[in-house]
Amino acid sequence: MKKKRFLALGLSLVMALSLTACGGGNDAAQQPAEDAAATEEPAPAEEAAPAEDTAAADDAAGDAQTEEAAGGDLSADITLWTYPIGNWGDSATVDSLVASFNAKYPNIGVTVEYLDYTNGDDQVNTAIEGGQAPDLVMEGPERLVANWGARGLMVDLSDLFATEAGGEIYESVNAACKGTDGKYYEYPLCMVAHCMAINQNVFEAADAMQYVDAENHTWTTDDFLKAVQAVYDSGQTNVGAIYCSGQGGDQGTRAIINNMYSSTFTNAEHTAYTANTPENIKALETLYAQDGINFDAAINGGEEITLFRNGTLAMSFCWNAAQQTNTDNSAAGTTNNGDTILPMLFPSDDGKTELCGGIWGFGIFDNGDQAKIDAAKAFIDFICNDADQVKDSVKASTYFPVRPTLTGIYDGTEIADTMNEFSTYFMPSMGDYYQVVPGWAEARTEWWNMLQRIGTGGDVATEVETFVTNANAAAAQ
Amino acid sequence: MAKSSNIPNRSKVLVRRETRSAYLFLLPNMIFFVGFVIIPMILCIYTSFFDSTMGKNAKDVFIGFQNYIELWTDPIFLRALKNTFVIVLVSVPVVCIFSLWVSASIYKLKGPILSTFRCIFYLPVVTGSVAVTVVWKWMYNNYYGIFNYLGQGLGVIDKNINWLGDERFALWCIILILFTTSIGQPIVLYISALGNVDTSLVEASEVDGATNFQKFWKIKWPLIMPTTLYILVITTINSFQCFALIQLLTSGGPNHSTDTVMYYIYYTAFKRYRYGYGNAMGVVLAIFIALLSAVQFKLAKEK
Repeated sequence: MKKKRFLALGLSLVMALSLTACGGGNDAAQQPAEDAAATEEPAPAEEAAPAEDTAAADDAAGDAQTEEAAGGDLSADITLWTYPIGNWGDSATVDSLVASFNAKYPNIGVTVEYLDYTNGDDQVNTAIEGGQAPDLVMEGPERLVANWGARGLMVDLSDLFATEAGGEIYESVNAACKGTDGKYYEYPLCMVAHCMAINQNVFEAADAMQYVDAENHTWTTDDFLKAVQAVYDSGQTNVGAIYCSGQGGDQGTRAIINNMYSSTFTNAEHTAYTANTPENIKALETLYAQDGINFDAAINGGEEITLFRNGTLAMSFCWNAAQQTNTDNSAAGTTNNGDTILPMLFPSDDGKTELCGGIWGFGIFDNGDQAKIDAAKAFIDFICNDADQVKDSVKASTYFPVRPTLTGIYDGTEIADTMNEFSTYFMPSMGDYYQVVPGWAEARTEWWNMLQRIGTGGDVATEVETFVTNANAAAAQ
Repeated sequence: MAKSSNIPNRSKVLVRRETRSAYLFLLPNMIFFVGFVIIPMILCIYTSFFDSTMGKNAKDVFIGFQNYIELWTDPIFLRALKNTFVIVLVSVPVVCIFSLWVSASIYKLKGPILSTFRCIFYLPVVTGSVAVTVVWKWMYNNYYGIFNYLGQGLGVIDKNINWLGDERFALWCIILILFTTSIGQPIVLYISALGNVDTSLVEASEVDGATNFQKFWKIKWPLIMPTTLYILVITTINSFQCFALIQLLTSGGPNHSTDTVMYYIYYTAFKRYRYGYGNAMGVVLAIFIALLSAVQFKLAKEK
């Protein structure tokens, strides 16, 4: 009998222990990043930040020496959760960046976890509720500032903005990283302006290129509509899609609607939604009535891109530089069957397109451990400000720097021409970063639901009014 | 005398020791069951009476039955409830009848032929739901899906139908997928149940001149009633809990036409962070499932 009891107790212990082992599984899965970092030899200060002739480089070298001194003192294990921002979602790239960091800060361990946009928010929020929030998170102001920052979960990063590099950040980007309480909850690394694109071969075959200013990548609203009609009349019945199965890529649908007749999505103070303007209503009615434009509740932005790439659609409203340089299925800047993709500004009636932007950077969760906060700030400072590192950090994002002084990021690479083209023709059209308006998550859901209702025959003015009412109710909560 | 009175005492001790051992063996499972089923259930009911957001600094406010009252004025919940009932009322009988029909047709087959049929019908059950859903999404595709291709080719439709993007069709598309992924298990169970029907009873009825229908209705059907009851209950619960298909295919759209209560619970709790309200929906859903299961049990008993 005693044997049985021992057996039962033993089994209980085995179960409990195996559970503990299961619980540790995540740590084991996260280990490679740490290992990769740990195997790198710490570099001497001179090698890590070689002196250059420019004043900026001298400063950077000075900073680097200070950091080196501080780097030896800082010791902590921190966690970084990153959304798939270019190659910041790729473990090999991030391992290499972390290894560079560890060369200067050998006593700071960085464990990286990769999130996706489908489940990432749930993972972060679950972690917050369980008191297990990461130390560092990489994303944009709509989450870092308007959501987690506004909820008092983030550390103020004002001191990073007080650095020389921090002072160079574009004013519009700086403003987007600041909460309504005046504190900074994001330190930005990169940015991009989202645009649209057309299949140039299809447009040429339909004689629609006459409506396109291909050199400056722009067109008026009237010309856009004429071009769509021409392509439709040529037999390509699916020209473009107002995709609305979910929120993925919704910046494209907002941008086309807001730009067509020069309207807005929020007020200038980013406190209320103002999409119920006559201009926006006119744009929606025009798009709904336009041959070749489908309000498609079965696809989202990613699926629209797929349809554009495989030639089903002749234009995409969900484009940017990373899409233009993508070579997954064909040569960069071409569709799957080799047609030329021409990136375009959204059409506007006044010739002044305002593109929706994406700004990505780092925020620090206030987990109450000053050592971890200091280590996390050191990581941000190294990745975003270190003169020898920042170009690689930005390049990993496949987007553009947030400081005008950072030039030539992509020089010597295959994508240099495309990136320069985007820098010249698209980045200057970056519009107001309104995504920091309160109630943003709810408003996004309301937006695609509104498009679905319009797509199924709902009265445009009524549905837009419903959207604004619901979104503003969420903003007021 | 002393010996005979000692035996019951010893067996009582034995029983007690064995019981204790049994409980020790059960302990790990019980810890799981209590920790991950019972306690969350209690918390779910408890939280449904609060305006709970479960945020780090948020304070839950007791609001009594307010969440439950709000449910009945929430048009999206009511639509989700209606959609859920449509799914249950259509898919449960169709799955049961179809799987019984298939099973009755093939259960007498022998060897590899029966195995082949079992394999074909069971394949969607063991295939990953995400893979199945992606394939269906391609088939339903508005632009190059096979349904539109066949429909146009056969002259049934004159232009492509946006199956998942049109609220007239979207829910029925979901029900069709649910049907194909739900029939595998009932077919296997029915084949087994029909194979276990006492052949002597069937032979006796044949001697008495019973028709095929009478043999099925009077002999086989009552004998496979426990299996039918199990299938009814399981299919009903699965249909009520339809979530993954909605999440992967339509996100409840277009225009909430494919919202189900399960999906709306997820959306409310994890997108809007209204945990109290979401839990109230969960409690209501559990009540509906319990009621329907009780009705099914009662009807089956009467049979």
